[in-house]
Amino acid sequence: MKRTAFIVGLGLLLTGMAACEKDNYDAPDAALYGNIYDAGTKTLLEQDVIRGSVVELKEHGWDNVQPQWLIFKTDGSYENSLLFEANYTVAPVRGNFIPVEPQDVRIAGRTQLDFNVTPYIRIVSPTITRTGNLVTATFQLQQQVTNNVRKIGLYAHSDFRVGETLRLTAAEQDINAVTDPATTYTLTIDLNAPNVRDILKPGRTYYFRIGALIDAVESKPNYAKAVSFDL
Amino acid sequence: MQTFPKILTCLLAVMLFSCKSVLDLKPTDKILAEDLFGDPEGVKLYMANLYYQLPMEDFAYFRAGFNQNGGDPNNGGFAPAMVTDEAVHSEFGDFVGDGDFHWWDQGYKLIRDVNLLADAIPTLQIIEADKKKLTGESAFIKAFAYFALAKRYGGVPLIKQTQQYTGDVESLKVPRSTEKATWDYVMELCDQAIDNLEPGDGKSRRVTKYTAAALKSRAALHAASVAKFWSRAPMSGPAVTDKLVGMTAGDAAAYYTACIQASELIINSGAFALYGANPASPEEAAENYRMLFANPNGGDKETILIKGFTLPGNLTGHNYDIWYQPAQSANGWPHPGRMNPTLDLVDLYERYDNPGQSAPVVTTTEGDINDYGGFNAGLHYIQYDSPNDIFKGKDARLWGTAILPGTPWKGTPIIIQAGYVLPNGQAVVRTKAETTINGTTYYTYGAANTSQYSGFDSYGGNNTRTGFSFKKFMNHAAPVMAGWNQSTTDYIEFRYAEVLLNYAEAVVESGTGNAAEAAKALNDIRRRAGHTTAIPLTVANVQRERRVELAFENKRFWDLIRRREFHTEFNNRLLHSILPLQDLRALPATKYIFVRVVVPNSNPKTFPERSYYRYIPGIAGNGLVNNPQY
Repeated sequence: MKRTAFIVGLGLLLTGMAACEKDNYDAPDAALYGNIYDAGTKTLLEQDVIRGSVVELKEHGWDNVQPQWLIFKTDGSYENSLLFEANYTVAPVRGNFIPVEPQDVRIAGRTQLDFNVTPYIRIVSPTITRTGNLVTATFQLQQQVTNNVRKIGLYAHSDFRVGETLRLTAAEQDINAVTDPATTYTLTIDLNAPNVRDILKPGRTYYFRIGALIDAVESKPNYAKAVSFDL
Repeated sequence: MQTFPKILTCLLAVMLFSCKSVLDLKPTDKILAEDLFGDPEGVKLYMANLYYQLPMEDFAYFRAGFNQNGGDPNNGGFAPAMVTDEAVHSEFGDFVGDGDFHWWDQGYKLIRDVNLLADAIPTLQIIEADKKKLTGESAFIKAFAYFALAKRYGGVPLIKQTQQYTGDVESLKVPRSTEKATWDYVMELCDQAIDNLEPGDGKSRRVTKYTAAALKSRAALHAASVAKFWSRAPMSGPAVTDKLVGMTAGDAAAYYTACIQASELIINSGAFALYGANPASPEEAAENYRMLFANPNGGDKETILIKGFTLPGNLTGHNYDIWYQPAQSANGWPHPGRMNPTLDLVDLYERYDNPGQSAPVVTTTEGDINDYGGFNAGLHYIQYDSPNDIFKGKDARLWGTAILPGTPWKGTPIIIQAGYVLPNGQAVVRTKAETTINGTTYYTYGAANTSQYSGFDSYGGNNTRTGFSFKKFMNHAAPVMAGWNQSTTDYIEFRYAEVLLNYAEAVVESGTGNAAEAAKALNDIRRRAGHTTAIPLTVANVQRERRVELAFENKRFWDLIRRREFHTEFNNRLLHSILPLQDLRALPATKYIFVRVVVPNSNPKTFPERSYYRYIPGIAGNGLVNNPQY
């Protein structure tokens, strides 16, 4: 009995294995990488990881194709090494910079593509200092467009990717006006405030980052580099 | 020998005619359109099916869609209110997902079904008055369906008649209309329904002229708001360029006017009134408000359309009573207490001694209502004699909507306690413990075992973690049946109070219409809740009133969507709880203190702007342009 069952089982297994062909498509092997630069200052443009600017890719050769989106790292670099080799229409979209025209790119092997854009806002001479229980940020704003600045903020998180969308606490200020480049803004987080002291705990490292958001369609905040403190 | 060929020829000749219609035989196992629609009873049956398919956001509406009350509808009791600031779930922390709240395939199925009927009406052998009624009802159903599509997807393909398949699939594909054209079509269908339907008495569960007007009032307000507030969260992409989503501020005025006119049709008819319009006391107001939802059929002239949940059982009953009952009355159901109204909502309700203002619950003599840092021995907490004294003097509707700590439900005081403060000033919070002082034992959760209290003990993912249990819509009269689909509380789809609030909002937002009447509408609703001081008609007053009056009627989600407030209201948003603690420092007196905290074990919620519209399913097949960012 056992032997029969074994033979039947083996037979079924072999039939099953022979029934399907192995997937014979090539795996995606092309990569697209690069950086997004502030065209004026030639520096990397800081980004958000969550709900930040994205690179939109539309692969050619399909009807009504679903776009793909690549996210930026906080420092403004990006990479996707699992793309199919093909022609794509590429543009960074929904960002913290003046919108740019898409470009057609052949992605094959490792393809580098940098973007040079004009940020909505440059955060000038940012400083973040800690005195006792107060973390204070000072900075000026240089707007590159005439829209209102919606708000400014100092964001804090235990992760270095801190920003408007990733924060444990924040000091924000609504502006809703066009700013004067000569004005120095000051934002302060009091580490001893009731809703802060239990969240930012002594003995750990936290990251602080200055951001400013323009009032434009689908705009994202512009940032200065994050600064860390051991509390 | 010659007769045989003759007979054969004759037989053959007869057979030539006998089988003439062999291919035209009618199937005997299917009802034909003319038979079904030719019989008034058939039309009634067909109509019942169309009503059943209406996308009503009732007790069976959950993330997976409508009519989630068949078989084993186990979704953990995660209600749509839990993706707004009205409530949190006792266990899950989910937020709006891309796949939630869709209604696409079922939407076009209903539209096809109603188109079949609408196309058949002129051929029916029935009297003219009945034809008119059917025409009106069909228009209403179509309007309701396109409204449900437009608020989810923006502009959609408008299929105005039954499509005929002629062998060419491409000819069946209809591109999306603009969002404005879609809303205009909804308005047009509402007008057809209003023109063709009779006034009726509001008691029938079939639609009347006024039901159609109530739909128009609701839909027009949605359209007007999208037009007015689009610029709060503008989008980009092909769908925006083609105007498939989005409208301009200039489009708002016409929709606000449409809302005002439709609402006035109902208000001026005199056929409707608020239930318990002039209560003698806030207590009476609270009980009236609870009664209205516990038994809508006793709602006098307030109800405009009721959806019945007639019988316990698959697709006829619902599950609100099992999921949202406090543990003390769960009657054997293992997972009660899952709708937890938030402190954020409770704070909104006015106090009678400070009309026209939200009244956040003040817990300390220091009075800092923004301190969510937990129990702090350095603060001076106000001691109360009962676990609900802190809410005394707040709007009656709070007491009718939520079970507050220590208030009775089904004859039992519902114990909702998060912990105690020991005589030495140490707080023991949200952990199961007991202490004996002078021979009396005190329990952190207010009683010894899990069937004796209803708050904060998170076993089984049960029990409120906000400090409030749920009352509105719950069946007070009967014990819980611990099984699926056993609740039969009916649902009010349209009620007069909503029409008054739509009217007030349209007047104040548009700056047109009769401001005095709109202010009266607002204050009539407040009067029914026991308020005696009139407040002015302002945007803020109307919105607060809307939130407290219509709480848990699945309106808040769409209010946040249409007013484009979701992404600002929910930007790293944490919701809040109140912890009722027994203060053992006060012994031998029994005293309670309250601590405002962030909802325990919860994460911040952020609304992605693409969620203002749902994605269009299956664009590779139907060839439609998808919504932004999908």
